[in-house]
Amino acid sequence: MRVVVTRALALLAAATSVSAHHSFAAQYDAAKPLTLTGTVVKIDWTNPHIHIFLDVKDGKGSVIQWKLEGFPPNMLIRQGWQRDVTLKPGAVITVAGWHARLEANEGAARYVTFSDGRKMASGPPAGTWGQ
Amino acid sequence: MERRRALGWFAALGVAWMIGWPAAFAQSAAQPIPRAANGKPDLSGIWIAQGALALAAGEDEVKAALAADAAAGRTPLPARAAPPYRPEAEARRQYYLNRRGIDDPMARCLLSGVPRIQLRPLPFRIVQLPTEVIVLYEIHHAFRMIPTDGRPHPSDMEPSYMGESVGRWDGDTLVVDVRGFNDKSWLVGVGTVHTEQLRVTERYTRDSYDTMLYEAVMDDPDVFTKPWRIQERFRLRPNDRVREYECIENNEDLQRIEKLLQNESVFRLPTQQ
Repeated sequence: MRVVVTRALALLAAATSVSAHHSFAAQYDAAKPLTLTGTVVKIDWTNPHIHIFLDVKDGKGSVIQWKLEGFPPNMLIRQGWQRDVTLKPGAVITVAGWHARLEANEGAARYVTFSDGRKMASGPPAGTWGQ
Repeated sequence: MERRRALGWFAALGVAWMIGWPAAFAQSAAQPIPRAANGKPDLSGIWIAQGALALAAGEDEVKAALAADAAAGRTPLPARAAPPYRPEAEARRQYYLNRRGIDDPMARCLLSGVPRIQLRPLPFRIVQLPTEVIVLYEIHHAFRMIPTDGRPHPSDMEPSYMGESVGRWDGDTLVVDVRGFNDKSWLVGVGTVHTEQLRVTERYTRDSYDTMLYEAVMDDPDVFTKPWRIQERFRLRPNDRVREYECIENNEDLQRIEKLLQNESVFRLPTQQ
């Protein structure tokens, strides 16, 4: 069993792509996907990651603020993002990504879907192991 | 042969039209490989590893790059072989893999080392001078200065993340001999450890206006049973530039990693609990 797992792990490590900065797998749980729709409160447009702060209604009348990590600004710019233009406070968006392993209301943001239906990559795929 | 080449170009243009080939590729595809005054290929330009292109610039650019490769008859590079580690080194690699890469020096904004720095999803700029090649990296704001005037490695090398590079030309290929490393970087991916005995021989061959073949042979008798060879293809990014990337600006990973390390069961592979 151990051998099988190790082999599978080796394959996984070989198949995954590079990460920008750190190992995704240590900090985020690829087995816990996340889809959140909410209102953007602010965007930290900083290195080595941006963070999107998103107010999400929990269905019981409460609002929970999520903190979602994305690519560094340079990688977003090369994929067509513009600071203060593409994403602004007040925008209603849907974020698809994965839960953080430790923090309850944090996650990795893989895609952002805007209210007009456009979808843009905002962070790395799950399983990037710092190749 | 001419007819076949013409057909190839026709097919390439068709594919390019269909997938919306970025203007950058379309403009430069037919240009010859530039040469310096001394007749050597001029490697100057902004480049990025093709394997990192999806993260760096999105899937459309990957499709365009693959279409350009197919049209030009460039075959995909073989999958990377696993490092030919001695058992002790392989055990260390497995340790880091089982910890899901949390120990990655890069997460602490430390220099990536060689050859890892060549494979990042951020571009680098090569400036080729008559007796020196300078590489300026977006990641870490790192640089390499590679003399090509025949001088040897410095006699006072201190172990360092990036080592000391000395270059020479082998025909149209720039060969770079890198030594003087510390043992703190990873070579290519999680847990690819090495010692201060590491010596990396890189080969840079510009095989078209838009592309450059890269090979790194890592030799470290303390960890490998034989040298480890990897290949990559770099792509020219004529409309890009090397931007500022201040990794430590807001590196919240440091605090998160500290918290995770106090809860090892949270990030370790289940088999290791």
